[in-house]
Amino acid sequence: MKPFIIVAIVAVFIAVRVTFRFRRHRARAVPSVPPQMPLQTKPPRRSLLVSVFGVVGLVAQREVRERIRGRVFQVGTGIILLVVIAAIVIPVLTRSKSEPERVGVVGTLSAPLRTAVLASADALGTTMTFVSEPDPSTADADLRSGHVDVVIVDAKQVVVATAISAGDTSTTAQLAGAAAQTLGTAAAFQAAGLTAAQANAIIHAKPVSLVGLQPASVSHHKHSPASVFTLVLVFVMLGQYSTWILTGVVEEKTSRVVEVLLAAVRPAQLLGGKVLGIGLVAAAQASMLVAVALGLSAAVGSDLLHGTGPVTVLAALLWLVLGYAFYCWVYAAAGSTVERQEQVQSLAFPLTIPVIVGYISSLTVATTGTPNTFVDVLAYLPPTAPFAMPTLVGIGAATWWEFAISVVLSIASTVAVARLATSIYRRAILRTGRRVHIRELLRAKPTGSQR
Amino acid sequence: MRAIFGLTDLDSGEVRWNGAKIDQPTRRRFGYMPEERGLYPGMLVGDQVEYMGRLHGLSAAQAQVATKMWLERLGVADRAGSKVDVLSHGNQQRVQLAAALVHEPELIVLDEPLSGLDPAGIDDIGAVLVERAAAGCCVVFSSHQLDLVEDLCEWVTIIDHGKLVTSGRVDDLATSGPRRLVVRVEGDRDAAWAKKLAGVTVSEVNGGEARLVLDESTDSDVVLRAAMAAGRVSEFSFARRRLSEVFREALA
Repeated sequence: MKPFIIVAIVAVFIAVRVTFRFRRHRARAVPSVPPQMPLQTKPPRRSLLVSVFGVVGLVAQREVRERIRGRVFQVGTGIILLVVIAAIVIPVLTRSKSEPERVGVVGTLSAPLRTAVLASADALGTTMTFVSEPDPSTADADLRSGHVDVVIVDAKQVVVATAISAGDTSTTAQLAGAAAQTLGTAAAFQAAGLTAAQANAIIHAKPVSLVGLQPASVSHHKHSPASVFTLVLVFVMLGQYSTWILTGVVEEKTSRVVEVLLAAVRPAQLLGGKVLGIGLVAAAQASMLVAVALGLSAAVGSDLLHGTGPVTVLAALLWLVLGYAFYCWVYAAAGSTVERQEQVQSLAFPLTIPVIVGYISSLTVATTGTPNTFVDVLAYLPPTAPFAMPTLVGIGAATWWEFAISVVLSIASTVAVARLATSIYRRAILRTGRRVHIRELLRAKPTGSQR
Repeated sequence: MRAIFGLTDLDSGEVRWNGAKIDQPTRRRFGYMPEERGLYPGMLVGDQVEYMGRLHGLSAAQAQVATKMWLERLGVADRAGSKVDVLSHGNQQRVQLAAALVHEPELIVLDEPLSGLDPAGIDDIGAVLVERAAAGCCVVFSSHQLDLVEDLCEWVTIIDHGKLVTSGRVDDLATSGPRRLVVRVEGDRDAAWAKKLAGVTVSEVNGGEARLVLDESTDSDVVLRAAMAAGRVSEFSFARRRLSEVFREALA
């Protein structure tokens, strides 16, 4: 398992390196092979985009090409990929080892005691094997070299390589503690004059039945690593894609290139193409990450795939799409009212408030595994649903029809927001000189209404 | 100019092309170069021009060929692989023009295409505009440097603070109005001698070269004699009216 993980990380690292090499090489090559070179190759997918969507497709095609060409995108994708890999691999590495614990035995350990120690290991959910050690000094050497994890000396003493601190929850520490306890109890029983069989019966006494009057209310809710993982992913990705839209619109407006573009295309076409193009890149990036996450989880046997895991990841992917569809319009409309690049910060802040609220409150639910009314409500509000709904799915607190209602609400409000945003965009994108205020825009007639 | 492309609303009137109101398909056959440069700062020059061509209806292959051709024609073919924001102002202007011309528009509208250019740039861009006009394309451009555009234009409309001052063929405007003389008297850089003459108005003085507007009754021989009395006359000729003079005289 370990070698595989290391190979995977090295492979990603090499891939990133090679991409940069190639790019740098290409960048150097450009001046020597002047104008024709960047103008030639054209993958067929792009032409498809244009043939299906016309002018909108052309605009989208430019967005896709420029986005993928940008260094920010390449580095960003690489970093997110590494974080995803780390988030999956590190818990697996630190998780209890699946190899059996090796317990060295110096001197004699009677068969009933062996059974008792094995049973205590079983209770910890781990497996162990006994290894005979000829004498204490060999046992010490084996402990130091890691050949054995725990040594039992004459059934009187338990030795480990490193002293166990109070909060140590590692399997070895727990096993050593349990073995010491078991041996001590057995010795005490023996001292009290019980036979080994009697002592064994006491140690493994069956608990009496335990009955609750009402069924447990949160019994089906469970802390799910998948819901935390996907929630963080949705938050990061959605933030990234919203920023692309915002800066894209602002760049066009502040560089005045929008004048030249709008001389040839309608504002709605320009906006639609931008949303479509960035959406395609976003979908490709998110799908790639999810595919890597699922594939890697399957390969290393991560907890991510247990229980509601796969459903949560797919729900999150769906909500990422819905969240993008909702927020892209909001950010595009906001970007069109900006006059200078510096205003972006102050403008973006109020827009991120619902995102932060949805994210933080959902994160609480995802980590504790206990839903609350607030998040239940947020799961139906389109701005916060992309965070709240997949979280509820992750902890198993949402039924399919609740999910469906939330999706329908989100789609309906996205249509409304898209219309409003397009209308704001048309009015604001050509206004220069100062920040445009929303109220004033809604009253105004769109520029070029004679179009 | 922005109203032609629906970028701003007219206070009154409407924009017509070949007698019909302009719609989006018609606009795509126009080319536009705004005064404030509009190019994507981070996009490669070649990609940018090609993209503009495609937005105006060229196929991918046509746009490629046209981009190559126009970048070469405007002398920036070696910068096709550069980002726009590393280019000099003059080169950006050339790229901007290429982006406006790449789809062979039937109408080209340029807002101050010559502002901020060095003489070589003015010559190059001016030559391209004249060549387009000769090829049957309608070229409309604005400029504050009236004398600079005099040689380029056929027809000029002078607007001052939103009011129409005058409009007509350049040749008609230049030959209309009172006669004018260009006189240079060595040693008198301010043309002080001419200022005292009756029936003569000094239109401008440029490094000793005086442009004089003669009243109808004034005889040019009188002016010549006065000039010879003032010093050695190295230049004495009748001249056409300059556009800047048309502008000033129309406002006076």
